[in-house]
Amino acid sequence: MKILVCIKEVPDSEGTIRINDSCRRIDVEGPYRMNRFDEFALEEALRIGEKMPVQSIDTLSVGPARAESTIRKGLEMGASRGIHILREESDDISAFETASLIASFARNEGYNLILTGVMAEDDMRSQVGPMIAEILGYPSASSVIHEEIDPEGGMLFAEREIEGGMRECLEMKLPALLTIQSGINRPRYPALSNVLRARNQEITTIPSPTLQQPEKREQIARLRYPETPSKGIVLGGNEREKARALIGILHEQSIL
Amino acid sequence: MKGTMKQKQIALIAEHRHGVLTPGTLETLSFVRELERALSLTTVIIILGKSIEDRACDIAGMTGTDIIGIEGEDLEFYNCEAYLAALEQPLVELNPTYVCIPHSSMGYDLAPRLAIRMKASCITAVEKIGKEGNSVTFSRSQWNGKIILEMESLSARGILTVLPGSWPKFDEKPGERGLVTTNHTAIEVNKSRTIGIKGAKRTDIDLAKAEVIVSAGKGLGSEENLSLIYKLSKLFPKSAVGASRAACDAGWLDHGHQIGITGKIVSPKLYIACGISGSTQHIAGMKGSHMVVAINTDPAASIFTVADYCIVEDIATFIPCVIENYHDLFSLHKESQ
Repeated sequence: MKILVCIKEVPDSEGTIRINDSCRRIDVEGPYRMNRFDEFALEEALRIGEKMPVQSIDTLSVGPARAESTIRKGLEMGASRGIHILREESDDISAFETASLIASFARNEGYNLILTGVMAEDDMRSQVGPMIAEILGYPSASSVIHEEIDPEGGMLFAEREIEGGMRECLEMKLPALLTIQSGINRPRYPALSNVLRARNQEITTIPSPTLQQPEKREQIARLRYPETPSKGIVLGGNEREKARALIGILHEQSIL
Repeated sequence: MKGTMKQKQIALIAEHRHGVLTPGTLETLSFVRELERALSLTTVIIILGKSIEDRACDIAGMTGTDIIGIEGEDLEFYNCEAYLAALEQPLVELNPTYVCIPHSSMGYDLAPRLAIRMKASCITAVEKIGKEGNSVTFSRSQWNGKIILEMESLSARGILTVLPGSWPKFDEKPGERGLVTTNHTAIEVNKSRTIGIKGAKRTDIDLAKAEVIVSAGKGLGSEENLSLIYKLSKLFPKSAVGASRAACDAGWLDHGHQIGITGKIVSPKLYIACGISGSTQHIAGMKGSHMVVAINTDPAASIFTVADYCIVEDIATFIPCVIENYHDLFSLHKESQ
């Protein structure tokens, strides 16, 4: 079994984001960290590696030089190898471009299983994972909340989350791609031994121009803030006054 | 006069459970009506299933829209590989400018792969159509609703998924009954198979029937504060406790409480969001509520954009304050009688 986990760096919610004057880019002030959904994906790969013999768990990110720290975090969690597709920062990177870069790398690596998070916390597109699968001709399932692997039989059983708390059950042939939903596991804190190992570990860097880069199929026309920050009434005063105002409103509406 | 199938520029891929269209599909139908008006286009609905012809005829009558029904042995349940294979031929023949799908478990599973296969643009979770001269933009949220992105398609074909709760459910009086064409397909699916659907875990929480839902988010801080949520909900007779995905993932509440796209979509009389920042997924699940009260320490939290009453406070101290004052007012009221 050879597993690839795709991870993305996203701005930490503690920082601030602002629309650039060009209206096409977001300026980020503050630190970046690993997308939470990808943490669940990496944790799931590590747990598979604890259950069965695994040749390698590779972790890959497409991003600028800064993304190296997110890849290193993946190594600290326990990934065997870090791969960095070095892509200069730009205003508008489509999921198709990211998926093409990853697929172009993964094509010759013979991965039996590719995992990604169900979406990125920042752009929330849910596109890169299934697109990689389509380019590589792998079967895929998104929003996976449980999986079992039969490496000898070359099969995978997956449950994906669908509406109303129900689950769709699938059987798939390996190699396959799954996008992992949050809550499938509890991502670990890095063990000290892994932190020390990761510190000096080599990361494979691949400049993106050496990989296949497609034409853009959609683009950002503009970015804007939501029209009305709030249509609601902001209750003022101290805590007690707000509490009394709320009780008054609910009483008037015959709810309380 | 109705045109032939070949002249349809929008294809809507319907999602159904045992032949019943999902609410997301009915909303997507309202979305395509707006897109039709904006660009003078017409729509065909594509519905796939093991035996779908009767339902296709019902839908053609109900919507006044032409339908292509695709029947096949492997189409009893949604399966990405089977749907892609079954859709290939009809979509090549139709060559639509837009393929529209609800942004549901089916939509976000299928759309990206379909976009690659059709060499199309892919814009997911569309919330609004903007008209600019002869073209349109599609708005979607990023960063949990803090930023809106207006996207434009650069390709001859575009795949769009429509965010739940963004358009009303289709409820127009149909004109002339739509035409129905049924195709039987003998597709070959060999890499994946949908075995079936597992029901939700039975819980005693009935979010659908509750008149008041008090929901907990990550802003609760710790599991110990959960009792506050229950105490607040007990002030209301027909109430239930809901939760954001983050609160469920933290293990504070079972996923049966979860409200949002993959949880439950609710519309109670009153929704009280406690310490919920308001992800797009969560908001799509509760914005149909008649009244929304949001309590959060962050005045910039997205949940305030859909709240009728906004309270910037920490729920750990605010809820006890509400309960105490409620009892004060209630007992005063009693004494005066």
